[in-house]
Amino acid sequence: MTNEKLDSLLAKAGVRQYDCYQCGKCTGGCPMARAMDLKPRGVMRCAQIGSLERILKSNTIWLCTGCHTCVERCPHDVDLPALMEEARYLASDMGYERRDSKVLNEVFIANLKMFGRNHEMLLAGLYNMIAFKPLQDMSSVPHMLKHGLIEIKPHETQKSESIKKMIERAEKLSSVRS
Amino acid sequence: MESTAKSYRLATEYVMSRIGVELVEIEDWNCCGATSAHTLSELMGIALPARSLATAELKEPELDIVTGCASCYARLRLAMHKIRTDKAAKYLIENVIDMPYEARREVYNFLDVLSREDVTEAIKGKIKRKLEGLKVACYYGCLNVRPALITGAPDRENPQSMDAIIALTGAETVDWAFKTECCGAAHQNDAASVTRDLSWRILKNAQLSGAEVIVTACPMCNLNLEMRQDGYRKNTGRSSIPVFSVSELLAVAMGASARHIALDAHHVPAAKALAAALRRSEGGVAI
Repeated sequence: MTNEKLDSLLAKAGVRQYDCYQCGKCTGGCPMARAMDLKPRGVMRCAQIGSLERILKSNTIWLCTGCHTCVERCPHDVDLPALMEEARYLASDMGYERRDSKVLNEVFIANLKMFGRNHEMLLAGLYNMIAFKPLQDMSSVPHMLKHGLIEIKPHETQKSESIKKMIERAEKLSSVRS
Repeated sequence: MESTAKSYRLATEYVMSRIGVELVEIEDWNCCGATSAHTLSELMGIALPARSLATAELKEPELDIVTGCASCYARLRLAMHKIRTDKAAKYLIENVIDMPYEARREVYNFLDVLSREDVTEAIKGKIKRKLEGLKVACYYGCLNVRPALITGAPDRENPQSMDAIIALTGAETVDWAFKTECCGAAHQNDAASVTRDLSWRILKNAQLSGAEVIVTACPMCNLNLEMRQDGYRKNTGRSSIPVFSVSELLAVAMGASARHIALDAHHVPAAKALAAALRRSEGGVAI
């Protein structure tokens, strides 16, 4: 892998890798760090030594919640969430997408294309089916149905067709980006 | 707000109508796409919120925007910011949404509105009964305060705006460590086992800090903290803790009944904690 790809990713994210002096505040404050196979500080280290592949193949970029605690506390304002976002785009292009994330995102966007809004029950139901987690959160369903917290019928926008077209335009333009 | 956040919606409508503020729903608004859209494409992640904002600008050009959800707030605010600061992006986004959008009006979160001096004064005048001595942990979540560049929030580690609003009800807010700690709602489906632990740490820290209830300003935070407390009880051996939206406590203090704001729709029994606080207050009244 050439460093050109890494340089372009960092430029798009607005991150200069040598701004990071490895203090570790990002990892210390990251709520997801314990589940990451490459900690946030490690991501920056990989960027410094040119190991883009390790970043793209990590679960880190998919587990980042985008909570921005890292950049908030970073003494050099290194925008790690922006780097994670750019890394997700590149990882997807290269086929490294984490399976569960891919399933959720695809179901989510399919939902928006259909209704323009999110149908929570359909989202969770379809995700659980495709991701083979049939029972996840299902114990709450009877309570939610009883109290009208979820409904069978979706709340649809009046112009869901135009929203579908809009999403498709965005998808098309995104794929020719970079 | 139309479905899982039923109590939040009813209470917000109740509070706003009491103080004479009219909320206008954006005509034919669409989902902002958080968190999936911006994970897939930066452009889609901005175009979705931009369409709703452009519609608002077209239909209600004199009105600012307010949202009760931290994730929507982050996405709407980012779209507004992008349009104002990036001409090339503006051109692209307008093409995708097929509408002009100048970002003339501001995007606020619900806490911003409640914290306005005139709104606070109006609320004070409508408080009928006090939730005396109720110990509350105010949970702001990530995206109501971060990233600073987008939100402009003055304090991202120990914010105070919700604490000041809750104090109007006579309740007592506790100092605690997890006010802006992420609850993991973004990955509640696709990384469930990891994010459960995130919300449980928040519940536990609130309890250890002496809180009887948690108050949120986001339906996603609220659902995520509240819905899965069965697992919390089993895994930690601790008792559950009710989670309310900021509007619910205000509504109850203004005189709303449990039925008005659908308190029975909570996943964790909720009315009891408020009833106890109302009883403690002078002239004890039932909820």
